[in-house]
Amino acid sequence: MKLKVARGYSKDASSYQIYEVPEKPGSTILDALLYVHDNQDDTLGFRYSCRGAVCGSCGMLINRVPRLACRTQLASMLLPESRHLVPSISIPEGGFELGREVLIEPLPNLERQKDLMVDMTPFFKAYKAISPFLLEKEGSEHFMPQPTVRELERYTNCVLCAVCFSSCPINGKELDYLGPAALAKLYRFIIDPRDAQRSMRLEKGNSTTGWWGCQFHANCAYVCPKGVTPNYAIAKARKMIRERTVAISKEDS
Amino acid sequence: MPAAITDTRHHDAIVIGGGLTGLRAALAANGAGADVAVISKVHPLRSHSVAAQGGINASLNNNKGEGEDSWEAHAYDTVKGSDYLADQDAVSFMCQDAPRAVLEMESWGTTFSRDDEGRIAQRPFGGAGFPRTCYAADRTGHNLIHTLYEKAVQAGIEIFEERFVLSLAMEGGRCRGLVALDIASGEVEAFSSKSTLLATGGYGRIFSRSTNAYINTGDGAALALKAGVPLRDMEFVQFHPTTLFGTSILISEAARGEGGVLTNAVGERFMSRYASKAMELAPRDIVARAIQREIDEGRGQEGGYINLDLRELGREKIMERLPGIRQIAMDFAGIDPISAPIPVQPGQHYSMGGVACDVNCRTALAGLYAAGEAACVSVHGANRLGGNSLLETLVFGKLAGENMAMDSAAASFDDGAAKALANSEQLRLKEIRSTQNRTQTSKLREELNRTMFTDFGIFRTALRMKGGLAIASNLANKGESIGVGDKAKEYNQALIGALEFQNMSCVALPICMSAIAREESRGSHYRTDYPKRDDLRFLKHTHITKRAGEHALTYADVLLDRWPLEERRY
Repeated sequence: MKLKVARGYSKDASSYQIYEVPEKPGSTILDALLYVHDNQDDTLGFRYSCRGAVCGSCGMLINRVPRLACRTQLASMLLPESRHLVPSISIPEGGFELGREVLIEPLPNLERQKDLMVDMTPFFKAYKAISPFLLEKEGSEHFMPQPTVRELERYTNCVLCAVCFSSCPINGKELDYLGPAALAKLYRFIIDPRDAQRSMRLEKGNSTTGWWGCQFHANCAYVCPKGVTPNYAIAKARKMIRERTVAISKEDS
Repeated sequence: MPAAITDTRHHDAIVIGGGLTGLRAALAANGAGADVAVISKVHPLRSHSVAAQGGINASLNNNKGEGEDSWEAHAYDTVKGSDYLADQDAVSFMCQDAPRAVLEMESWGTTFSRDDEGRIAQRPFGGAGFPRTCYAADRTGHNLIHTLYEKAVQAGIEIFEERFVLSLAMEGGRCRGLVALDIASGEVEAFSSKSTLLATGGYGRIFSRSTNAYINTGDGAALALKAGVPLRDMEFVQFHPTTLFGTSILISEAARGEGGVLTNAVGERFMSRYASKAMELAPRDIVARAIQREIDEGRGQEGGYINLDLRELGREKIMERLPGIRQIAMDFAGIDPISAPIPVQPGQHYSMGGVACDVNCRTALAGLYAAGEAACVSVHGANRLGGNSLLETLVFGKLAGENMAMDSAAASFDDGAAKALANSEQLRLKEIRSTQNRTQTSKLREELNRTMFTDFGIFRTALRMKGGLAIASNLANKGESIGVGDKAKEYNQALIGALEFQNMSCVALPICMSAIAREESRGSHYRTDYPKRDDLRFLKHTHITKRAGEHALTYADVLLDRWPLEERRY
């Protein structure tokens, strides 16, 4: 079967190269790219590490949907349902023969470095902007009920692969928008009973670059390889802010 | 001729590797006032630590119903699990420090799973007398490394990502820094330091079937070997009993800790014949051999695997305690463990051996330190217990960082060696990129992988190993004149692959030599031609040192100051 792969360095317009790869049951897109690199073209650039969907290295646009290459079965990308539209994502239609070839391109919303590798700097800049570390309270072992852990896990499962960031139409337009992963991380600290600055954190996202920038396209939750739901976190944070405002105005009156 | 390199970056302490050990060391060195930098060939969150699943051991004693746990009990289990090859001072230090290390991570934000009373939950693990493995579902490594990276961001630690370390700079009997390739730009950079830590993880990718990430190519061991620093106990390679059939992705021991059972093709719970008391929770070396024996003797499933059956656990427990395992089985084998058994086979998992260091993480070369899987201190001896590797990263990472900061205070910079080395390394890389003699790295790597797994696998014999050593030596020679098709300077991943192959093939040789010399069976090193442990001849650490191109093999005593030798029964 064929892979149609976008090639080029940062400033180049993409050119596409076709590679023929063997169809082996169980093969993933990452396996296919490694096959190309090992046997046909060692100039092809792409990031990878764990091959088990835990390290977040291999995010790329596969059949125009952002996904992890290691978690995506090659055969499944020949099926028509592999081309689910991601709503509002500003990437062109067509350009490949679905069912005969798999289209592989770099993640959108981030600048390409080489071939399928993108510059993650803006993504990690947003991550760092939300102070992504627990602000400790005193005490050695904090007790925490398991249901709280379960709620936290919805967000701590994030592997920071930037697949959500690249699927978000707001990140595509607004350079300052923190984006789904950073906002999910921010929310994770707000609901962590061990954190000393939870209301400060809620306030940190209280702007159009934060909670209020989201338009609930929900692409983030749709493409997340780990089942994280940043849209849900954003909705909850907005609700907290509304309720806090109501509580304060009640106190005032 | 490329332009000469005259710039040098300076840091008191440089940590090579951005996994759990490296980040913990950097935080400790930074906390002790040193100017520290981390150099990693990937972004730290892409390090293999992220893939650790089952948990981290500490005698927190949160399971009161099970009796009284203690650091001594933890240490005893570790020593017995190591088949008495671990150094007992190092084991005692680690087990005593374990509760502090776990509670520290909890206070820094790691979301550990909890028991009914909100305490950190603990589950049973192989070879352990108490349920002392703390966990964050089955994503413990992921949760720990994200916490440490968050702390590193908070502390403002300088991290040089996607730098491949080429060699260590030495002058006057000290390590003076290193030379690294910036993968993005293709430029060679000189780093000057007062102390340097090898925290590069293991060498699993030398073997064909490995749970390890592609990046685990033994880079730290190779750097040490080139610098004349001894490697210790390299013959001890852990084969994990349960890796997913076909992809070798790890299926955590937690699956058995939570009650999963192993069955052969006739539906028998065969562990009763190998470890009648501990059953599936015998240590990994024993369970891996049992599974391989079942397969070799024709009681495996077609294709060569056995079943790991979690169905008895039920949906709720699987979803709560093993959600990652379920996801892996579904994504990579199309199987939901709630309704069907998982096909598993043993695969390479962990490197017990590594860069020889003392209990303070100091190596034989002044200014050079080693910790974590890259090191051999030794706390795992001939076989590591599940849950002890994450613990080792935190305990010895911290200790290494503190010692580096302390030692750096009395040391000074010397840039000469790193600068000179940078210029020669630049020429070496240019040679690899420009040579017309293009070797296909993948073909060499595949042959090395196959040789190591078949000839230095779960069952070993002199005959096979000697054949394997000849092949590995030949491959190491070929690796020296390697060439690549990619001629570009920027983002040349073919070049990185070639350099990694050089590291893998040069680290393979000490594994082969140590294994051939050890004429006994101990822990993970099982010789069908010498099936018994031989304490008289081999209750010793193997050391391999490379000097002037020649490997020298010597032995060193094991420190047994507390727990006397016993026969290992489970």
